[in-house]
Amino acid sequence: MIKIQGLHKSFGDLQVLKGIDCEIKEKEVVCVIGPSGSGKSTFLRCINLLEDITEGSVFIDGVRVNDPHTDINEIRKEVGMVFQRFNLFPHMSVLDNITIAPKKIRKMHEVEAKDLAYQLLEKVGLRDKADAYPEQLSGGQMQRVAIARALAMRPKIMLFDEPTSALDPEMVKEVLDVMKQLAKEGMTMVVVTHEMGFAREMGDRVLFMDEGIIMEEGTPTEVFGQPKNERTQDFLSKVL
Amino acid sequence: MIDFIEGIRFDMIWSYKEYFIRGLWITLSLTIIGYLGGVILGLFLGMGKLSKVKWIYYPSKLYVDFFRGTPLLVQLLLIHLAVIPTIFGSSLGPFTSGAIALVLNCAAYNAEIIRAGIQSIEKGQMEAARSLGMPHKEAMRHIILPQAFRRMIPPLGNEWIALLKDSSLVTVISATDLLFAGKVVAGAYSRFWEPYITIAILYLLLTWVFTRIIAYVEKRYSNSYIPSQRRGIFSRPSVGR
Repeated sequence: MIKIQGLHKSFGDLQVLKGIDCEIKEKEVVCVIGPSGSGKSTFLRCINLLEDITEGSVFIDGVRVNDPHTDINEIRKEVGMVFQRFNLFPHMSVLDNITIAPKKIRKMHEVEAKDLAYQLLEKVGLRDKADAYPEQLSGGQMQRVAIARALAMRPKIMLFDEPTSALDPEMVKEVLDVMKQLAKEGMTMVVVTHEMGFAREMGDRVLFMDEGIIMEEGTPTEVFGQPKNERTQDFLSKVL
Repeated sequence: MIDFIEGIRFDMIWSYKEYFIRGLWITLSLTIIGYLGGVILGLFLGMGKLSKVKWIYYPSKLYVDFFRGTPLLVQLLLIHLAVIPTIFGSSLGPFTSGAIALVLNCAAYNAEIIRAGIQSIEKGQMEAARSLGMPHKEAMRHIILPQAFRRMIPPLGNEWIALLKDSSLVTVISATDLLFAGKVVAGAYSRFWEPYITIAILYLLLTWVFTRIIAYVEKRYSNSYIPSQRRGIFSRPSVGR
């Protein structure tokens, strides 16, 4: 479903990604772990071209994302993204946050979009917050709305960029629970995370990134159980 | 001092009241036209200054630099006496020239306000909108501009007051604005205290009224996005849910 070949990314002279090859299959949940500055977030942001790609290719459903002839907006409709800082639209109610993209981009009818929004709010447990504004919500609630907003486009893939890193500890669970439910429903997910518990429990595969490359990958049992790479061992000994 | 006060004759103002009423009207019209035109043109210039496309960025920058870097008085004379006669073959009248000059000048200042307002919105907002599949233009319109406008209200308010006062410069090309009325009276009676004090007071009244309105608008929009918690004269009554 996602195929990444020889992905390089530089910011000026700084090389952040130094050649990444990876394939993500449908319904797979892939967790990306690694120390900060290892290029995890940049890797994720290259998939939907929030960062332009210096070298290499990303294919989604066989379409080359970084082809100048590809309409990136068409790709992004199918790829939802959840950010560390939520990035809800503060000038809109929760309901409008969720319905704006389906209405403007999918040309969905108002009533239909609202129905969908209520369904999704039900799913993330925030039906009663439809008329609230982002500033009235807690961090965990905001992130759950952000997930609902991304799901409203009915994406085939969901990208999570450290979705719980900006949350107070007591709110982490409510967000992870929503993500777990999503994974169980068969959503294809790429999750950059520091939540080793989530990666271990939900990940079909774990990628350990360091210094701009994938140092090690495997099932959670392999990576957490018997890490082969010295870097992985070192990293895991610090976080577990 | 007593002689001076006894010697003041405001009756001369009264007998020229039509000039002052007309002057007020012209000053207000020029300000409104100059401002509205300046906001619309400024919006395009401001976005132009944010463009990564060189042939959009550089002309926008050149425009803003020129109109901010030269005196409005010079721009007025240049437009009225040189540019318009060259393009149209004759003058289009001082009001038209004045209005055009004010629009062009105001646009340059507004462009900077609008550029700064757009840039002040967190990068994540645009990223979130784009990640949902919104084209740049749509994201600008639905997500960035509504938030940016709110931050632009205080500087755009200042710009309105500044333009109201700067519009008095159109007097030099003989537009019949408020200042012009004063000059007529001064010329007719060879007296200067009464006409210019009257005008100063009228300008002060105008700026006072508008400062109050702007303060209310700022209050209304600066405190909260939640409709029921907004304050100010234009706030809708809160509706219980």
